[in-house]
Amino acid sequence: MAKSKKEIISIKSISKIYHLGDNVVKALDKASLSIYENDFISIMGPSGSGKSTLMNIIGCLDVPTNGTYKFNNQLISKMNDSQLANIRNEKIGFVFQTFNLLPKLNAVQNVEVPLIYSSLNRKERLERSKEALNIVGLSDRMSHKPNELSGGQRQRVAIARALVNKPSIILADEPTGNLDSKSGEEILKFLDKLHKAGNTLIIVTHEKSVAKRAKRRIEIFDGKITLDE
Amino acid sequence: MNRIFNYLSDAIAGVLFYFGQTKLRTFLTLLGITVGVSSIIAIMTVLTTFDKATAGLVEEMKTNVFYITKDNPVQISFGGEGRSSRNKPRITWSEYEQLKRTLTLTKNVSAVVAEEPSDRTISVGKEELKNRLYSFWGGDPEILALYKYDIITGRNLREQDLNDRARVAMIGYDIKEELFPYSDPVGQTIKIDNIPFTVIALMEEKGEILGQSMDSMIGIPISTFLQYFGGRNWRRADLQLILESESMATLDAATDEAIGVFRSIRKIPPGEENNFYIATNDQLMDTFGDFTQYLQIFIGLVAGISLLVAGIGIANIMLVSLTERIKEIGVRKALGARRIDIFLQFLIEAMLISIIGGIFGVVLGLLFGNVVAYFMEQDPTIPFNWVWYSIQICAAMGIIFGLYPAIRASNLNPIDSIRYE
Repeated sequence: MAKSKKEIISIKSISKIYHLGDNVVKALDKASLSIYENDFISIMGPSGSGKSTLMNIIGCLDVPTNGTYKFNNQLISKMNDSQLANIRNEKIGFVFQTFNLLPKLNAVQNVEVPLIYSSLNRKERLERSKEALNIVGLSDRMSHKPNELSGGQRQRVAIARALVNKPSIILADEPTGNLDSKSGEEILKFLDKLHKAGNTLIIVTHEKSVAKRAKRRIEIFDGKITLDE
Repeated sequence: MNRIFNYLSDAIAGVLFYFGQTKLRTFLTLLGITVGVSSIIAIMTVLTTFDKATAGLVEEMKTNVFYITKDNPVQISFGGEGRSSRNKPRITWSEYEQLKRTLTLTKNVSAVVAEEPSDRTISVGKEELKNRLYSFWGGDPEILALYKYDIITGRNLREQDLNDRARVAMIGYDIKEELFPYSDPVGQTIKIDNIPFTVIALMEEKGEILGQSMDSMIGIPISTFLQYFGGRNWRRADLQLILESESMATLDAATDEAIGVFRSIRKIPPGEENNFYIATNDQLMDTFGDFTQYLQIFIGLVAGISLLVAGIGIANIMLVSLTERIKEIGVRKALGARRIDIFLQFLIEAMLISIIGGIFGVVLGLLFGNVVAYFMEQDPTIPFNWVWYSIQICAAMGIIFGLYPAIRASNLNPIDSIRYE
């Protein structure tokens, strides 16, 4: 990896410990990781490996028990709830396995949701959302509700939603897990395109074929990072 | 500021969606608020029209007239007083005559017995009065001045009429219009319950007060009234006394004098309470005001209970909506919604639901209240201040009952709730 690139995420020796009754579970055990601008990373690991915990911490949905996590040199591991929410809102674009679109809203309204929590006005929100839908090639499906769209189209709406705030990283959790192979391939090609356009991508997956698309592969087992190449 | 507008439009979209999704449930929740608010608005509409109608009456009654009666004629009490009044002595003719002789500060004094309304049959020849007679009274020559009637043609009662128990009658304009449409009634014969009376005077038109025509009136000498219409014990009939001081300035002095004289006539020892009731018009209007106040308190209670139940309904619907939307809350939090954002979203939704229910209630209450006003022959009104209060009450209810669901929603953990199915 070219060290000249700007470091976005710096994770140093983080642990996450859960207390389930009398049992102490170490979901993450002194894991360290650096992520640079325009990285395209895949994170692989069996279930229970700590993969989800690592993703939640990277995505600022959770904070580590020990260790430090810096995002753009800001110390995330000591942030409170609403500071974390602001980082999620401005710096991170989420893409989920089950799309997680809001069923009552149409495509453009779904893309608008992250902007509701920013301080843009209505007009700017709509413009940005339309632009994002345009990037994913769905400008002709703006007023369709999620149940009127195919699986691949729904995931593209979700990607547009992840892009709309121009985030520093895009975090995709099993983005092709709920799609047939053809739509899955389409989505992966699109993610390639986003990488080439300069975005930083992290894909969490358990499929080798998906992981191979990434430029850098990370494997995790028993809360420890076992491979980083 | 932009954020607040964002929440608002988002919340409106959310509420509209849930109206579409859970019609019956939302309808039932709204129903409680609607019933509560519409009852407030309906009653307030009726009371407002009533206030407007009585405004004329208050003006009319702002005089230096006062009354002595056995009891408060506008009796509104919740038990208690009714019993004691039975022991009070009637006001007799001799008491009246003594009082009249002694008073110095009064201009006009009259004893009166009245039927309001009266079900007597009024006829001229074979023609009968179709409408119910509003007022049939017996009085003194001074009563016209007290009642503020002016004679168009004919003459007032005389002392002689009272002494003779003469069968003479003074009639209001409505009676003339119906029974003597083409002739001067004075000198003609009118029958009251088949007893013939000679019409001696026609009164000038006075119009309506509270939907009652002041011109549907017949007055005769009080002695005649008691003998012919006073029943078997007419000699012991209970009289009402109407008195008028020289001017507004002397009203208090005149009432004090009347109380003193009447107490001495009845030989009430000092320190004991009056065993009669004395009231100025002001006091009568106050009693009336008390009545509307009791009514308002009562309606307030009813509306309060119904709104409380409605509020619990709102809390319930918001909690149900919360469990249905755990995933949505998780997604919103992942996308950057802070605790306060989710909290406000739920609170605004609860407020909107209750305000919408309130608006339905206002519309319904205005309709209902004005239908009642229409049947009371009053002009339609909108009690704007109460409409405004109702909407405020609804907003406050939304906040109070939406608070707990909103707090619960805002405290949901995004990681768990996003996986919730």
